[in-house]
Amino acid sequence: MKNKQRMWLKRSVAGGAAIAVAVTMAGCSGGASAESRPENEIHVAVYGDATNKVEEQIVATFNETSDVKVVLDKIPGADYQQKLQTVISTSSAPDVFFNWGGGSIQEFVDADLLLPLDDFIEEDPGLQDNFLSSVFDTAVIDDKPYGVPMRGTQPVMLFHNKTVLAEAGIEAPTTWDELLDAVEVLSAKGITPIALGGADQWPTQMWYQYVYDRVAGPELFATALAGDTEVWESDESREALGMLSDLIDAGAFGTNFDSVKFTDGGSPALLRSGKAAFELMGSWAYATQQDADPEFAATSLGYTAFPAIEGGKGDPANIAGNTNNFYSVIKATRYPDTARDFLKLMYSDEFVQAQLAIGNLPTTTNTEEFLDTAANPDYSTFQFELVQDAPSFQLSWDQAYPPSAGTPLKVAVQQFFNGQIDADGFISAMQAL
Amino acid sequence: MGRPGFVWAAPATLFFGLFALVPLVFVVVLSFTTWSGLGDPKFTGLDNWVAIFDDPILIKSLGLTVLFVVLALITQIPLSILLGVWAAGFQRNRAVLSAIYFIPLLLSSAAISVLWRALLDPNFGIPGQLPWLFGDGNLFGKQSSAIGVLTFVAMWQFTPFYTLIFQGAARAIPPVLYQAAQIDGAGTVSQFFNVTLPQLKNSIVTSVILMVVGGLTAFDTVLILTNGGPGTDTTVTPFYMYQKAFRAFDFGQASAIAVVLVLAATAISLVLVRVSGYGKMQSAQDGI
Repeated sequence: MKNKQRMWLKRSVAGGAAIAVAVTMAGCSGGASAESRPENEIHVAVYGDATNKVEEQIVATFNETSDVKVVLDKIPGADYQQKLQTVISTSSAPDVFFNWGGGSIQEFVDADLLLPLDDFIEEDPGLQDNFLSSVFDTAVIDDKPYGVPMRGTQPVMLFHNKTVLAEAGIEAPTTWDELLDAVEVLSAKGITPIALGGADQWPTQMWYQYVYDRVAGPELFATALAGDTEVWESDESREALGMLSDLIDAGAFGTNFDSVKFTDGGSPALLRSGKAAFELMGSWAYATQQDADPEFAATSLGYTAFPAIEGGKGDPANIAGNTNNFYSVIKATRYPDTARDFLKLMYSDEFVQAQLAIGNLPTTTNTEEFLDTAANPDYSTFQFELVQDAPSFQLSWDQAYPPSAGTPLKVAVQQFFNGQIDADGFISAMQAL
Repeated sequence: MGRPGFVWAAPATLFFGLFALVPLVFVVVLSFTTWSGLGDPKFTGLDNWVAIFDDPILIKSLGLTVLFVVLALITQIPLSILLGVWAAGFQRNRAVLSAIYFIPLLLSSAAISVLWRALLDPNFGIPGQLPWLFGDGNLFGKQSSAIGVLTFVAMWQFTPFYTLIFQGAARAIPPVLYQAAQIDGAGTVSQFFNVTLPQLKNSIVTSVILMVVGGLTAFDTVLILTNGGPGTDTTVTPFYMYQKAFRAFDFGQASAIAVVLVLAATAISLVLVRVSGYGKMQSAQDGI
């Protein structure tokens, strides 16, 4: 009803005020105290998706022996960040929460909300030593560790449907030119060459991350992020945009990609059903496909590194994506010992095997010895080597920038792809971030 | 028993004060601060206000919001009047069909949005089956069709509610008016325009106010169906406020936008009430 919508405005206004009141009170009391938190349980907030079954299993294992129980709060993915930001300084904050390390927790550290993990590590050095140090360091801020790696590393790869490629008589491309050739062959057969969940915007962004990295190397983005936005106007930047234009103009993504989402299963279904041949996606796409059709994931889902670009500055072995996810602990937790013991499971054999079984790749030092127990050992080994051998691992652009830049960045990325803005428009949008 | 005293109004006044006025004051205060949700808000004077009126996306969003309200009015009002007047009759099957028409009223906005998102998927939904009608099915990728989808879904969702209002209002029209019109030789069409429509005037004004204010705060369907896209082409002001608050975590600017919306909705409601003479609560049945 319409008056419901009117209520919505009132409620949102009320929400804003409630937050304001909460802040005022927090200012007086110095934050939520441990006593105000639930008794005999700790809450663990995770990003809701197909990987949750591993988290459920680990929580069940933990609760078998622990008096203080872990309660898993699965927060729907699209709402995760705003939910976290609005509860983290209140008494409803989760004790332990999922995050992307680095920039995603910087602000919480600055606000003195997180527990430095040095004490935990002193009691159990395994909490640091059992993880690949390059990954562990992503959650080290001001020389203090704030996160323990969980889930897996998530490089973005070029997935393909083996059956479709075989029928079209083409190989998975290793170079940009081969990709353009494949696009031509597939288009002629009436197949959408590349599935793209453009309505979600971030899948579109993945194409920029890789093409910019291949053409200009990781330095261009790092320079821009550090504040020197002149680089967006450089020849390399224009070349990368030109190559993306070529790909779009060749019909690589079809014409209706901005109506398709990855998050509602649209673009994975295109790949699975053979209506599209490729999809550039994070490693979690394996779990997504396996969830929908285990048979397809096991037999027809192919994957390669992003094609090399001849003459580009970037090393073809460079990768982009999410370096890892982390569990961080809030300072206000009532049961720090329980949190510590729970975190220890993140390097347990059970955890590593369960992650491998659904196609995720943990970054513990014992991962390598279990690679052959993975759901698809070839997939896990391929990823492990990809990450191990990568000279540079570009963090997803929208996670590298502060949250305030997220929407304008993704809008620009979408508008250049659908032709609403040209290269100059994209460059000035990026310079305005 | 005399006239009810102030005590009678106390519960409602308290509620309104606590859940509407107090928050409103906080939002106005927040609009002069910068705050990300962590720590304490810092006062920044008029910075947010200068920033939002210098923001091309906000200006565009205001235009889009007005467009959506106008589209809602011209699609929903005529349709719901016709349906409502029809449903007020005593035809065979009327009760069954009316019950079916009211189904959307029972669904939440989120459910409706998810439903239509799936039905309108370009590859696996209706457009994929009817290429002669939908072309490549890129409904959410072009501004015109994205606006069309939002308008259509709003119509599907809200027409039953207004139909209900007009059904009730049409039922309340005294039959004697129609009998008199018949004696004067008026046919069905003439009766509709000369008796029914004038009698529905107050209901129409009510509906228009609800639609305008509802349209100014429409948000949920935009979030789920188009996410404001393509680009910023369906970013209406309430959605832009949400983006500022819960994506960019700039609660200061978001509050400034909220205040703009509150002022706009209040001003438009007042103007509508004044212009339409609704506030005088005149009877449409003088002399009966």
